Amino acid sequence: MKMLEALKTRWIVWVWNHSPNCAEMSRLASQSWDRPLPWSTRFRMRLHYLICVWCKRYFKQLQFLHDAAGHFEEHADTSPSRGLSPEARQRLLKQLQVAEHKKS
Amino acid sequence: MNETAFWFLQQTKAAGFYFSRMKSHASPVQADNLSTPNQGLSAESGKTKLGLSDPERWVDLYGDYLFKYALMRLRDEAKAEDAVQETFLAALKGGKSFAGRSAEKSWLVGILKNKIFDYYRRASRETSFTDMEFYSHEESDRFVPDGLFKDGWIHELGPQEWSSPGASLDSEVFWQTFRDCSDKLPKNVAAVFNLREVDGVESKEICALLNISENNLWVMLHRARMALRRCLETNWFGKQEVPQ
Repeated sequence: MKMLEALKTRWIVWVWNHSPNCAEMSRLASQSWDRPLPWSTRFRMRLHYLICVWCKRYFKQLQFLHDAAGHFEEHADTSPSRGLSPEARQRLLKQLQVAEHKKS
Repeated sequence: MNETAFWFLQQTKAAGFYFSRMKSHASPVQADNLSTPNQGLSAESGKTKLGLSDPERWVDLYGDYLFKYALMRLRDEAKAEDAVQETFLAALKGGKSFAGRSAEKSWLVGILKNKIFDYYRRASRETSFTDMEFYSHEESDRFVPDGLFKDGWIHELGPQEWSSPGASLDSEVFWQTFRDCSDKLPKNVAAVFNLREVDGVESKEICALLNISENNLWVMLHRARMALRRCLETNWFGKQEVPQ
C-alpha cells in the first residue's frame, strides 16, 4: 500500500516535470481558443490534465465562457440598460427625414 | 427588344416595391406591437410620401436594439448614437426591402457592425489598442510561489467546481452578472474579447483591424477570460443560488 502511494507520488512528480505548469496551462488553455496549438504542446497539456483537476476545471470553465459569449447577443434585447433617449430618438428621426427629403 | 424588357422589369420592380409598402401600412399593428403610438403619423405620411414611414418604423423597431449593440461595443453614448445614425442613413441609401423582419434586422446589424469596425480602425490609428496593464499579475496570488510545485494552483484558491453551469444560461440574473463582469473589463480588453468571443472574428482579422500583434492579442484575451472567469465564480457560481 505504501509502495503504491510512493509510486503515485513519483508519477505525479514525473508528469509535473514533463508538462507545463498551471500558470502556463491557463495561458495555453486560453490560446487554444484562438490559434491551433502545436501537436507536442497539446500532448503535454493532455499529460498535465491527468494529474491536475484544477486545470481541467479551468479549461471547462473557459469552454463555458466561450459558449455563454456565443449566446450573449440573444440576451442583449432583455438587458435593462437604457436604450435611445427621447432626445436621441428625435435627433435620429430628424436626420433621417432630412436625408429622405434630399433623396426624393 | 432589350429596351422593352428593361422597361418592363423596371415597372414590375417598382410595383413590387409599392405593394410591399402597401402591405406594411395595411397592418401597422402587426408590423409593430410596440408601445409607441406612431400609427397616425406613419399613416399620414404614407398618404403623402410613401418612403417616409421606413425610417420611423426602423427607429421604433430597431433603434433601441442597435443602440445597445453599439453601446456595449463602443462604451460611449454619443459614439453609439452616431453609429446608429450612420447605419440608418446607409440603409436608407441602400434602399432594400425585405420579406421578414429578422432579415431586415440582421441586415441593419450587419451595417452597424461595419460602422463599429470603422470606428475601431480609426481609434487604433490614433492611440495604441494594446493594453498590457490590465490583470498583468495574472492571478499570481493563486499560484504556489515556490518549491517543487511552483506555479501550480494553490488547491483552495484554484478553480472550484461549478454547479450546473448549463442551467445558468437560462437565467436572466446570470446574464446580468455576465454583463456586469464584462463591464468591469477595461474598454480595449472588452473590445477584444467581444470581437473574438461574442462576434467570433478570427485572431488574424482582429490583429489587422486593431493593428496589434498576435502575441499581445493572446495576452489580452487570456487576461480577459481569466478576469471574467474569476468574476463569475465569485459573483455567480460562488453564491450557489442557481435557480433550477
